[in-house]
Amino acid sequence: MTLDDAKVLVDAPGGRHANPARHRPDLLAWAGAALVLVGALLPWAAFVLPGGAYPDRATLQFFDAPHLVSGFRLHLVLLGLAGLAGRARRPAGIGVVVIAVVHLAFLIGLGAPSAGGPVALVGGVLLVWRRPAVPALSLPLPGRVLAWPALLAAFAGLLWLVSATLTAGGQSRATNPHGGAEFLAFCGFAFALVGVLSAYGVLTWLAALTQRHRIFAFTVMLACALLLPVTGAGTGYWMTVASTIGVYAATAIGLNIVVGLAGLLDLGYVAFLGIGAFTAANLAHSVPFPVAALAGAAVAGFFGVVVGAPTLRVRGDYLAIVTLAFGEIFFRAAQNDIGGLTGGVNAIPGIPPITLFGQAFNQPVGALPGGFLYYGLAVLLVAAAMVVLVNLKHSRTGRAWEAIREDEDVARAMGVRTGRAKILAFLVGATMAGLAGAVFAHKLGTVGYESFDFSESVTLLAAVILGGMGTVPGAVVGASLLFVLPEKLREFSDYRLMLFGLALILIMRFRPRGLVSSS
Amino acid sequence: MTLIAERVSMRFGGLVALEDVSLAVPGTGIVGLIGPNGAGKTTLFNCLTGLSAPTSGRITLGGRPLPADPAEAMRGGVARTFQNIRLFGEMSVLDNVLVGRHSRIRQSLLGALVRSPGFRRSETEAAERARAELAFVGLDPDVRRPAGSLSYGDQRRVEIARALAGDPAVLMLDEPTAGMNGAETAAIGTLIRGIRDRGIAVVVIEHDTKFIFSLCDHVHVLVRGRMLVEGPPTSVRDDPRVIEAYLGTAEC
Repeated sequence: MTLDDAKVLVDAPGGRHANPARHRPDLLAWAGAALVLVGALLPWAAFVLPGGAYPDRATLQFFDAPHLVSGFRLHLVLLGLAGLAGRARRPAGIGVVVIAVVHLAFLIGLGAPSAGGPVALVGGVLLVWRRPAVPALSLPLPGRVLAWPALLAAFAGLLWLVSATLTAGGQSRATNPHGGAEFLAFCGFAFALVGVLSAYGVLTWLAALTQRHRIFAFTVMLACALLLPVTGAGTGYWMTVASTIGVYAATAIGLNIVVGLAGLLDLGYVAFLGIGAFTAANLAHSVPFPVAALAGAAVAGFFGVVVGAPTLRVRGDYLAIVTLAFGEIFFRAAQNDIGGLTGGVNAIPGIPPITLFGQAFNQPVGALPGGFLYYGLAVLLVAAAMVVLVNLKHSRTGRAWEAIREDEDVARAMGVRTGRAKILAFLVGATMAGLAGAVFAHKLGTVGYESFDFSESVTLLAAVILGGMGTVPGAVVGASLLFVLPEKLREFSDYRLMLFGLALILIMRFRPRGLVSSS
Repeated sequence: MTLIAERVSMRFGGLVALEDVSLAVPGTGIVGLIGPNGAGKTTLFNCLTGLSAPTSGRITLGGRPLPADPAEAMRGGVARTFQNIRLFGEMSVLDNVLVGRHSRIRQSLLGALVRSPGFRRSETEAAERARAELAFVGLDPDVRRPAGSLSYGDQRRVEIARALAGDPAVLMLDEPTAGMNGAETAAIGTLIRGIRDRGIAVVVIEHDTKFIFSLCDHVHVLVRGRMLVEGPPTSVRDDPRVIEAYLGTAEC
């Protein structure tokens, strides 16, 4: 929804003034909020579990120090308080339900009866159930004096949220047996937080501010991203995870050009990541990294044109099949080590880390953790991909791509040479994936064909759809979710594809344009 | 530039859709093309816009053959609208018009990537031109909504603005008043005269003969794939052959 639409909605009859919650107190919703607060302070696990106290001293011991409300209990208290406000009620309620369900499920799995869980769950359901249908507020746009600090605060908040989400629940089951529950519950809280902000129109407002102060916002965002290593997520482990996400996010942005902008469904896109990775791996010992990276991008771009050529003849489903076949050809060729370029089942091991000015990228720099340099490189890669997407989107080329997506015949009738435009989309997308692939190869040190199978293409496509097709932050959000979740929820790895499917169905049902969408 | 069709025939297998049809669109003025359903109007229209190549005959624009490719025809100066509105629904109104300007915008990919001064100048110029076209067809140039959310009549106007943005020499309108009421039809008529006054030749296909006769400088009547009559509206209107084609012969 655009700002203008939002304004119309708020002013229209049935908008602000018809909100019943303003006029008569909604007792059930208030009861729900009260139940959430009570539930947060009740014991959640009736005894100390074998693996140690449940998160945040959730047993009866809690009453030794009731003032120490932290972790998910603090989140519940905050959400319960937010539930008192009309607009925040629904997202807060959803957050409470997620937190309660997650902890209850884990406690039941551990065989521990819970008192606080059911109470908070009932409170959360009451909050969601008594939802007032209120459209988002539309806030006036301030001048630069207020806008810049607001953007700074917003991106600082985003940095905190990213760092807190990454580190929620610790890095593995070995160090924290309740990590999965803590992480999922935190996701519920983060979702509620974003939902509340959105209900008050803050997100639309920030999006408009970002749009207006584009360069400032981009600089702050880049700075915040590079500050992640000095937050709680600044360990070698999280740097590695974050830089992997960065590589996939950059790839997803490239795919977003092909699928989101030009509307060309590509089911074999990961092959370009693979081509870039194998090219860089083969050149790693003979040329410096920048040359290998450019070579990877160029070779991938070349194959992008090769795949793009058939698009002149086929459309829609048929194109999807052609790209699917290309992905499979690449995968099988890599598996069989055709030309001795991919190492086959042995993969290509021993790729040296990137070294610039005598500094190996996998070593710590000063006080900064090892892997920081790879993380910084990944951030720059994503930033570059974003710049390419945004700048091309708002140009003659980008408009031609979107026109082809909307109606190819009309685009032709309007003077767009659609054949060239489509091949260009494949070329740009593949080049970006190839560049990402070169970083991928050096970062991992080993490149094997298994990394580029069909499910990876599907995951990338899911990241684009999940985040919001054609949007810039969408691919990053989608890629982060799809590559963080498996890392955080290793205990559910058997159900990974099922959970992806479920998430996609839910997104398509409730946000058909993706998590990040402008309208 | 004059758009000329010389002895154009179009056959689909055994079906003869057009037979030896000749038509000349002078550099200025409004040319109407009418005919009963199935007369071959749309087939002729597709030939004149480069969508299909005629089986025989020649189509030239300003003396040079018209390429049988819609993109090249548009670049050459023949722009069109569609009978059933076909806007880029998810794109903004302004972006729709900017796509119409596509072939007249000079930008390099590199310039777009680094947003060079030349690129920004060309974007500003294109946007100004697109806004001017929107204002010309009577729409608010600053509307940010997706084109698909506009009303039916406004969508038709966006289509016309989009076609005009490509600096056409000839504008082809395929039933521009389909589904409109009397007042809206009259407003479109005024708009079309305004386009003619800019020195752009206009070709209008219509069912509404009254609209065509009041609007056009020259009218062609196509019946069963043949050009039956042509001439100024007054003479065509009273031609017994036209009345017969539309109403049938009087039986007495």
